[in-house]
Amino acid sequence: MPCELKEKKRTGVINPIFTCQPAGAQYASIGIKDCIAIVHGGQGCVMFVRLWFSQHYKESFELASSSVHEDGAVFGAVQRVEQAVDVLLMRYPYVKVVPIISTCSTEVIGDDIDGVVNKLNEGLLKEKYADRDIHLIPIHTPSFKGSHVSGYNVAVEAIIKHFAKNDKKDKKLNLLTGWQNPGDVKTLKHLLAEMDVDANVIFDIEEFDAPLMPDGNHVAHGSTTIDDLENTGSAIGTIALNNYEVGKAAHYLEETFDIPTKIGPAPIGIRNTDTFLQNIKELTGKSIPESLVKERGIALDAITDVAHMFLADKRVAIYGHPDLVIGLAEFCLDLEMKPVLLLLGDDNTTYTEEPRIKELQNNVDYDMEIIMNADLWELGDRLQNKGLKLDLILGHSKGRFIAMDSNVPLVRVGFPIFDRAGFYRQPIVGYEGAMILAERMANAWFTDMEYTKNKEWLLSMW
Amino acid sequence: MPYHEFECSKCIPERIKHAVDKTPAENLSDALPLGYLNTIPGTLSERGCAYCGAKHVIGTPMKDVIHLSHGPIGCTYDTWQTKRYISDNDNFQLKYTFASDMKEKHIVFGAEKVLKDNIIEAFKAFPHIKRMSIYQTCASALIGDDIKAVAQEVMEEMPDVDIFICNSPGFAGPSQSGGHHKINIAWVNDKVGQVEPKITSDYVINYVGEYNIQGDQEVMQDYFKRMGIQVLSTFTGNGSYDDLRAMHRAHLNVLECARSAEYICNELRKRYGIPRMDIDGCGFGPLASSLRKIGLFFGIEDRAEAIIEEETKRWKPELDWYAARLQGKKVCLWPGGSKLWHWAHVIHEEMGLEVVSVYTKFGHQGDMEKGISRCEAGALAIDDPNELEGLEAMYKLKPDLIITGKRPGEVAKKIRVPYLNAHAYHNGPYKGFEGWVRFARDIYNAVYSPIHKLAFVDISKDAISTDKNFVTRQMLSDKDIDPAVVNSKELHEYTGEFDSIKKLRNKEYPKFPQKGKLTAV
Repeated sequence: MPCELKEKKRTGVINPIFTCQPAGAQYASIGIKDCIAIVHGGQGCVMFVRLWFSQHYKESFELASSSVHEDGAVFGAVQRVEQAVDVLLMRYPYVKVVPIISTCSTEVIGDDIDGVVNKLNEGLLKEKYADRDIHLIPIHTPSFKGSHVSGYNVAVEAIIKHFAKNDKKDKKLNLLTGWQNPGDVKTLKHLLAEMDVDANVIFDIEEFDAPLMPDGNHVAHGSTTIDDLENTGSAIGTIALNNYEVGKAAHYLEETFDIPTKIGPAPIGIRNTDTFLQNIKELTGKSIPESLVKERGIALDAITDVAHMFLADKRVAIYGHPDLVIGLAEFCLDLEMKPVLLLLGDDNTTYTEEPRIKELQNNVDYDMEIIMNADLWELGDRLQNKGLKLDLILGHSKGRFIAMDSNVPLVRVGFPIFDRAGFYRQPIVGYEGAMILAERMANAWFTDMEYTKNKEWLLSMW
Repeated sequence: MPYHEFECSKCIPERIKHAVDKTPAENLSDALPLGYLNTIPGTLSERGCAYCGAKHVIGTPMKDVIHLSHGPIGCTYDTWQTKRYISDNDNFQLKYTFASDMKEKHIVFGAEKVLKDNIIEAFKAFPHIKRMSIYQTCASALIGDDIKAVAQEVMEEMPDVDIFICNSPGFAGPSQSGGHHKINIAWVNDKVGQVEPKITSDYVINYVGEYNIQGDQEVMQDYFKRMGIQVLSTFTGNGSYDDLRAMHRAHLNVLECARSAEYICNELRKRYGIPRMDIDGCGFGPLASSLRKIGLFFGIEDRAEAIIEEETKRWKPELDWYAARLQGKKVCLWPGGSKLWHWAHVIHEEMGLEVVSVYTKFGHQGDMEKGISRCEAGALAIDDPNELEGLEAMYKLKPDLIITGKRPGEVAKKIRVPYLNAHAYHNGPYKGFEGWVRFARDIYNAVYSPIHKLAFVDISKDAISTDKNFVTRQMLSDKDIDPAVVNSKELHEYTGEFDSIKKLRNKEYPKFPQKGKLTAV
């Protein structure tokens, strides 16, 4: 069988691809305007996640901790949440949304964050903050379940459940973006604008790429408002990119408010972008304009320059978020490349039912391995000890040492990317993203040709 | 009383005792801020957890060790590729990290079996590594797994491996500092005394509280070797597991970061009678007196003096080039712990910088005492600062530079204050004579960045000067200084390599004859 789907055999993890659920919930939270989440757990669960975001974006994001210490771990720590909410609201007068994100420690000790939210809603918020519109949202993300991908999924669902209303006047299209970069969101908004479609963008993170201004303090922040979130329940349709990241919220909206829903691939590559536009067309009745035909043409023209001469038959490994890995693999196949190893880094058991994986299994005509619950050692071990030959690796920065030690160029794509400048600004979605991805892969291959003296003369006449 | 009340923290009155303004006639016993107390929830404190203090600060810099965290994946992921503790064995400890990846079923039924499988798998994946550290996390502590028993079982089955256990869950204490303490004590209790080292010198030290950030340890080790001193072990940067099991055979513990590692020195003094000597590898003056102290202890002052003379001659003209251009520049010195007192006085004395504020995330009152006594009057000292206080302080003090961690550095950038990384350094190492010049160079480059100056121009309101197509750092830094300094033939900019550590590896050292076979002190 050329395409084999299997689980990692080892029980432990050597060099993780993913981090834990609370990190994903924190990523969702920072997409909301006027929002500071409180992570209920030890301080490292916040400090390191803030560092993680700042490694990727070279920006700081606001997130708070309930600072659970030893006494809390022994006697319960819900009063730390109460105090944290009060301190936060006193000192940040603009804050409206406060997700309360649980962690492994506070789930194990059984702190009732739903109960404490009810108590605060009935008590503190009424007594002290009656003049403010405050939303406390409990989000359960025990670190011992899933990964940051499922944590994001759980958090988006909790946030949508809290806000969505079906009596709003604004009837827009919901675009649940999934875990994206600012460059991607900008491109998605551009595609919507070209289609003349108004959307509730969940989450609009374009401002994560924040400016350094001559005055004021322009911190990076999300721009999705309470109004946008409430509107999701009254939308004319939902497009959810990345099933594993926003599938839960999309299903909730579909089931609760009868909103027509397309849970589709992120528009990675030409073909998936075509599908994305087709989905918008179906849900809104809008037509695809000439401008996008041209944009597509520019991308196709550029990709044609690199595809069959350079990228064809190149063997690649891909790791990262499941929707991203699958999307990239699909695009690579269109580029005549050979994705030979796909690494999906969590214990999600539904990958075996994933239609897009089934498609790969049914149609791939060379040996491909898809590893579930994978870590980066699945890649390192194959390269260093099992004779795997690769031309390129696609993935985030945490794989940099394995790539370097194996002398395989790592084309940075995914999250986090901390060892290349500005990649969060460059889209990988849409026609423009397809072009950027193909060119990024080609350029990585070109640099490798030059510095390993591997037909380096070839490019002198191209 | 010079307590400093932050506008933003008026609503949390307990904060007032955590910040003081140093006045000229201050009495430290009055003015010392509270330290190492529980964090106020929801303040956006910068503190980390005790797991990180144990594993990421102290454990992982050990270079020939599989570092395995027993818990859910996040703790491992977070403490991987987020620091710059390099090593001379191709950075194994940076490249590889291990997690038992605890899941819900393990929380319910226990994870000892899965831990055992993990340990065996990890050794199998890296057969040349025979040493392991296992770190407890919040989750494994709460379910009560007996990690030590599991490790013991494996050690009995695999006699060539050795495993160290550190029980320091994230919630163990107000900050990472709790973890420093726990791992110090665990190591001296469980591992010191197990290996008998080969003694090759009359002068044998442990170098303690040094984490080889960008090569600091290798710089200092170079000086020690040039003095004919055997560095038996380093706790822990670039340190070897088995060397650290032999710490009991040193004649002297040379302690760099007293915040994170004084505990083990004090224990080694108590248990093995090894004296503790606090030193400071940062700054020409403190480094020179540190080398002298060590020389004096062993009766080899001449060797120390020779190094001081050679290095000073080589690097002082470069330091002074920068110092001349940094006079009076205002700095917020906002590190984690010990650097607030390692650097407070010496960046003033040797570079002319004005330290307008010191803070510590996880330091104790003793650290503040040292820091405040060393910085200039007028400085604002803050314990466990939070984000709004940091912003308020920067708006008030208008520093030319902030020396702090990576993410807080991004906060400063947004209000147009350039930052240098106090923990991981920009272009370190910063220890050693050359390193101190590198630090001065990095400060100069940050303070006089032409691009940074452009950030203050509001093109919609301000007059835009069109007479210049570029500005160099020296056009900015040299306009107000003495022409004699500008035209000096002696002073010059840094001339070292991008990587100043490579040249130290595989270096040949003089052989000093050994006087006799030595036993432990």
